[in-house]
Amino acid sequence: MRELCAVAVDAATGAGAEYADARVVMKRNQFVATKSGRVERLSDSESEGIGVRVLLNGAWGFACDRRLSADGARDAALRACTFARAAPGKHSRQLAPVAPASGTHRTPVERDPFDVPLAEKVAQCLEADEAMAGPDILVRQTMVRAQREHKLLLTSEGTEVEQELIECGGGIECAAARDGVFQMRSYPSAQVGSSCQSGWEYVDGLDLTGQAPRVAEQAAALLRADECPNGVMTVVLDGDQVALQVHESVGHPTELDRVYGTEASYAGTSFLKPGDLGSMRYGSGLMNVTADPTTGGGLGSFAFDDEGVPAVRTPVVEDGLLTGFLTSRETAARIGAGNGGSMRADGWNRMPLVRMTNLHLEPGEGTLDDLLADVDEGVYMETNRSWSIDDKRLNFQFGTQIAWEIKGGKLGRMLRDATYTGITPQFWGSLDAVAGQDSWRLYGMTNCGKGQPGQSAHVSHGAAPARFRNVQVGVRS
Amino acid sequence: MNALDVARTALDAAGGEAEAVAHVEHSGLARFAGSEVHQPTLIENAMVTIRVVHGNRVGIATTNKIDPPGLAEVARRAADAAESSPPDESFPGLAQHADPPAVEGYDEETAALGPGDQARLAAASIDAGGDVPVYGFFTSASSELAVVSSTGLSVQQRMTDATALVVAADENGSGYAEQTAWRAGRIDPTAVAREAADKAQRTRDAAEIDSGVYRAVLEPYAFADLLESFSHDSFGALGMLDKRSYFTDRLGQKVFDEKISIVDDALDPHGLPKAFDFEGTPKRRLQLVEAGIARSVVWDRTTAVQAGDGVESTGHAPPAELRDWGPLPSALCVLPGDAESVAELADLVGDGLYITRLHYLGVVQPREGIITGMTRDGTFRIRDGKVAEPLVNLRFTIAVPDLLRDVLGLTNEVALVNSQNFYGERYPYGVMAPTIAAERFTVTGVGSKPGI
Repeated sequence: MRELCAVAVDAATGAGAEYADARVVMKRNQFVATKSGRVERLSDSESEGIGVRVLLNGAWGFACDRRLSADGARDAALRACTFARAAPGKHSRQLAPVAPASGTHRTPVERDPFDVPLAEKVAQCLEADEAMAGPDILVRQTMVRAQREHKLLLTSEGTEVEQELIECGGGIECAAARDGVFQMRSYPSAQVGSSCQSGWEYVDGLDLTGQAPRVAEQAAALLRADECPNGVMTVVLDGDQVALQVHESVGHPTELDRVYGTEASYAGTSFLKPGDLGSMRYGSGLMNVTADPTTGGGLGSFAFDDEGVPAVRTPVVEDGLLTGFLTSRETAARIGAGNGGSMRADGWNRMPLVRMTNLHLEPGEGTLDDLLADVDEGVYMETNRSWSIDDKRLNFQFGTQIAWEIKGGKLGRMLRDATYTGITPQFWGSLDAVAGQDSWRLYGMTNCGKGQPGQSAHVSHGAAPARFRNVQVGVRS
Repeated sequence: MNALDVARTALDAAGGEAEAVAHVEHSGLARFAGSEVHQPTLIENAMVTIRVVHGNRVGIATTNKIDPPGLAEVARRAADAAESSPPDESFPGLAQHADPPAVEGYDEETAALGPGDQARLAAASIDAGGDVPVYGFFTSASSELAVVSSTGLSVQQRMTDATALVVAADENGSGYAEQTAWRAGRIDPTAVAREAADKAQRTRDAAEIDSGVYRAVLEPYAFADLLESFSHDSFGALGMLDKRSYFTDRLGQKVFDEKISIVDDALDPHGLPKAFDFEGTPKRRLQLVEAGIARSVVWDRTTAVQAGDGVESTGHAPPAELRDWGPLPSALCVLPGDAESVAELADLVGDGLYITRLHYLGVVQPREGIITGMTRDGTFRIRDGKVAEPLVNLRFTIAVPDLLRDVLGLTNEVALVNSQNFYGERYPYGVMAPTIAAERFTVTGVGSKPGI
């Protein structure tokens, strides 16, 4: 791997690049999914190749090749240079200085997910699948997954880092239908469950089979539940929904490439401006958000990002004040603060982008019951079902799979089809409680989209249940 | 090596009962922001997926290591997966020999475009933006798909595609335009940028409006996006089998305005033609909605067997990594109406909204087809039958069937709107849609002003 990267970097600098980096990436994925008693998908995929990024006359070029050979490495480097020379624009891109890094890193695991036989994974899924069977349950789905990413980065500045990141995850979901009403429940998160950088001990610890009966009972009960009422009220969100709220309304808007507009043609921009750093009130004084690629088990954990910048824990919002952005070396140089550290690429054939690493809402105090106790009338919402937010990350609308009425500090009747909507700074300004460390969990998601061509990032968010006052629940009438 | 050679070599490596799907990509995407190229991506890749069948146990493995050792290893993994899987009584078996229809969709000149050409065509958009900074890309690619099986199937198709996309935006306004075709020569990056910049100039000083139900004109960009999102749950057989599709128990019923007819037609040379799906089943024109009456959803071999009753695949199997989504339409086309122009539709609306583009659609309730999202890059008021002052971005929450139930009119021309966001392997597909004027479009909130 190292020799191929060296060939690419030498070819690029020999062709006139003032900076070059080469990444060899080998990625393998296993995915097992069952549906209503049968195996829906059992796949094992791998992809490998080299990606070469160059800065030539101040312009970027990036090219890649699946061939892990000297010819493949050299060809990619020269094509990247060709493009950089032809690239229209003024081009005066600078990189924040960073000391050359060297090192290796591997996710610590107790049981390597790829040592777990596929037959065992299938059996795990089918057992959980069967445990969801029940009245009104129409569809039962279980999935487990594993990924290994082995990569080596070499730069023309002398950085050489090699990392092996291992992750796995799982989840269950069932759908119930009756009289034209369709409802669903998931565990531990919606979409494709939850994942973690870990060995298979993480999947075992999810206890998918143990949770299955509850999930099925709730899905069936939702068919008979009342619809969530509309109105302005207090909302308590479970940690899973708080994690998504952090992702969409804090994570994306604080990506500095979005702030500078470089994602405008696809994922969107940000309501934040560079000058907001250190002065913009993002939320209430209880809001503390931290970007932390050193978090154990986080999907966004690494020792070095894909520019070779060492992992550092960074405050983003402190006591409600915006104090940090997620940056690359280029955007850090542009704003004149930091040196990057949030650059990640979705494999060998994509250019690194500014991505969330692990972005946490820091815990507060107390338990979920403590949060509910201080609510006369409101709604408690659990597990995301739908999400949408505008291109500047201001106006959002989220829906959850299940909700309960809160009356006199206690949970009451079950409610279905709950949604809430808001404007980002006002919503976070209404935060008046976050549960404590004992309720704080890491939620790992594998479907964060960005970039053209599209890239899917794996990120984690630490979150605990949180309470928000005066929230618009349902559609404004 | 071309895709057919890769697939045949992989099939040989598998031995026994098996299928191999090879996908080869040569692509370049020149992405720009603030009128400078900032993220160029040039990709050379070849992927092959082997599906091994042991009795009715099935296993799948994928690799881009297409040398003999790589193919031997992926064949071993597929066999291991098959042995690890319990028998699947509903496995439909591998496809037999097929003669897919001859389709267009490959252009030598597009395939020959290289990094310098992609940079030049991106520059054409950048230069045409004028005073308004532009954000977007020019991309072109050639790709090949081949499916072969031990049961006698052997099909191959070469494809090309190109897209020019521009968001023209400054602090006070934004506009959007896009063109997609399988011949790059049909795309005019200069015209795309001018359309976007012109719209951006017209969105300055955008105003807010109250929430409520409005009549609305949706450009093809917006209409195609909405239909594509609705189709995931409702036009696929899996949504029907799982009862989350709007069309559950509604096939044969009048569900939309009689002006609405929708087909999935991968053979149409005006779209992005395909000859077969990822199981090798030949493509054909399929009527989904006919004059407002729900006629069909799309099927692959697996869901057809699950449904029984003589249902057959319609040629809509997705790639292996998306198979748990079930079959999906990939060439939706809303048939055109009578309106000679967008101005004629605005006149029909009289008082309402004009919407260019949507953003971040989320399905709130699949069974009812309820979707929420935001408008973006060109939202206007229609007053007295004319497109009038600009509006801020609007949040909407609508039932798509409700939008399509009372249609005031459709333009007599359709536009091809790109639907691929270029995740994973390159596979060009899109939606052909006219501009639509509808009686009901529900606004549920306001967002920020257009612009960066």
